[in-house]
Amino acid sequence: MSRSEVSALPDTAFRSRPALGLPLLASEISVLFRRRRTWAMLASLALIPVLIALAVRLTSSRPPSGRGPAFLDQVSQNGLFVSFVGLLVSVPLFLPLTVGVVAGDTIAGEASSGTLRYLLIAPAGRTRLLIVKYLATAVFCVAATLSVAIAGALIGAALFPIGPVTLLSGDSIAVGDSIVRSLLIAAYITVSLLGLSAIGLFISTMTDVPVGAMATTIVLSVVSQVLDSLPQLDWLHPWLFSHYWLGFADLLRQPISWDSFGSNALLQCGYIVVFGALAFGRFTTKDILS
Amino acid sequence: MCATDDAKGLNMSRTLVRWLPAVMVPVLIASVAVAVPLAANAGVNLPTKTPAQVLALAAGEKVVALSGTISQTSSLGLPELPTTGADASAGSALELLTGSHTARVFVDGSTKQRVQVLDRMAERDLVRTGSEVWLYDSKKKTAVHSTLSERPTRSSETEGMISTPDQLAATLLKSVDATTTVSLGSDLRVAERTAYNLVLTPKASETLIGSVSIAVDSQTGLPLSVELFARSQKTPAFSVGFSKLDLATPDASLFVFTPPAGAKVTEKTPKVDSSRPAVPRSDAAKPTVSGTGWDAIVAIPAGAGAAAKGSISLKSSPLFGKLTTSVTGGHLFQTSLVNVFLTDDGRVLAGSVPVAKLQAAAAAK
Repeated sequence: MSRSEVSALPDTAFRSRPALGLPLLASEISVLFRRRRTWAMLASLALIPVLIALAVRLTSSRPPSGRGPAFLDQVSQNGLFVSFVGLLVSVPLFLPLTVGVVAGDTIAGEASSGTLRYLLIAPAGRTRLLIVKYLATAVFCVAATLSVAIAGALIGAALFPIGPVTLLSGDSIAVGDSIVRSLLIAAYITVSLLGLSAIGLFISTMTDVPVGAMATTIVLSVVSQVLDSLPQLDWLHPWLFSHYWLGFADLLRQPISWDSFGSNALLQCGYIVVFGALAFGRFTTKDILS
Repeated sequence: MCATDDAKGLNMSRTLVRWLPAVMVPVLIASVAVAVPLAANAGVNLPTKTPAQVLALAAGEKVVALSGTISQTSSLGLPELPTTGADASAGSALELLTGSHTARVFVDGSTKQRVQVLDRMAERDLVRTGSEVWLYDSKKKTAVHSTLSERPTRSSETEGMISTPDQLAATLLKSVDATTTVSLGSDLRVAERTAYNLVLTPKASETLIGSVSIAVDSQTGLPLSVELFARSQKTPAFSVGFSKLDLATPDASLFVFTPPAGAKVTEKTPKVDSSRPAVPRSDAAKPTVSGTGWDAIVAIPAGAGAAAKGSISLKSSPLFGKLTTSVTGGHLFQTSLVNVFLTDDGRVLAGSVPVAKLQAAAAAK
């Protein structure tokens, strides 16, 4: 009998008692947020909008329209745009970077520090552990996106005037409405990162070296974006998990265009199911030696 | 020995079961991805009509209000145009003719209209209320206001913007005459509505246009999509169609436009004529049209006001070299549907005909 069978037994035994997953999830989240690394990543994400706001505040010349990231030229007139610019800048690299670190660490991190064995001896079961690890990563996605959005709104309010926000359609909305839109954008970006989290979770089950899993996840996010920019591969584009990452601009139109939100959610669900199934196949049949 | 074999066998089957979802899920997703587009066009079986009845249905179209999303795809054989950098403004007019674009359209009656071209992280808007027209560009932060001298109709041109399927179809259906064969293809489903597939085929053999398909909504007669096929091409060279359509009256606030703070507002005086370089309406030296129907050639004489100015400004543009090819007697702007021949002596000849025919027409003058 292999070790995998020994540890697979509690899995079936505890499936009938789903309530036990919640304390495990709570402890997993508290472990994640007690790590200094997690806070360092959230702080550096929050630093991005702060740097943008300071750069705009300290330079007197207004950037010419149409240069630099979208919305940048509006920051000096309306502080609420700091959030939008911050999110826009972090979506291609910084957010996938931090999510890759957390998702790549999920299983491989425990395996490398030798704690995976003890997690499985405790009455948790492999499937449940996998789900809990994934949910904790999803919670980090929410925290990462919100830290950019909130830091951007705060520094924007501190340094610049606040007023009605001009949408891409040319219409203006009140401050209250614009906060709702910011939260919608944060939700959109969180959803965008869920597919990458699932990929990271799967890669993490493949190896005992967490750095390898993190690097592979981050490289994949870059590869996906490079492929998305090649017009020769346009048949592939709707299937790439990064295809709708910058589609959150549709939430800044009047009326809101929900098309890309829906397509994005559907695509990310597909990635979660595919890579969740792969991670399940790999993790429940793996021999845990450390 | 036997017992360990059994255990191994059990272990193997357990392993297989664990990997089963990883195999089944992609298969399931792939089959759904294949089945959904197939199901979309299956089972459309409308009452039989003659081509003339469908033409009458389209002519009797009385849709007053709609909101919808239109997608436009062109593969006219033009090079990809720069959308950023110094060339961007020069290319913006032609940019709408390359690649793919998505736009939202809101219409309420014949005087209220809004077209939004949805660009990446940007938007171009056209808002029309009565004779007031606003053009807003979010990337350039410009708002252009103009007042139309006469009350426009819904099918009137929206210059510099995407034309909607019904506008394009109206232009095409106007030209249905003895030079065109009208037939019906198999029924379609466009934007979740059933439609008759009207196919216009030019009788002339010397035109670049192979055929035109217009999807006519079976209930209202509204053209839902237009596809232009170049001769001997399977995929359309140009297509525009609704991907979403709602015939309810859009929210009235959509047609009220106030230029946002910080936008550069310019006032444009009503124009006497259209300044399109290729086909000016009224000019001192009038363009001549030779031939009729699909293989007609429009010739604009040298020094003809706006057209000449257009061609001069065109030649000084850095894009000119990228877009045109040098041929005997001038420069050629070539697409799979239309050729434009700019002669060295300043004349412009355009038509949906092969290059040789344009050159022959130029030499005949």
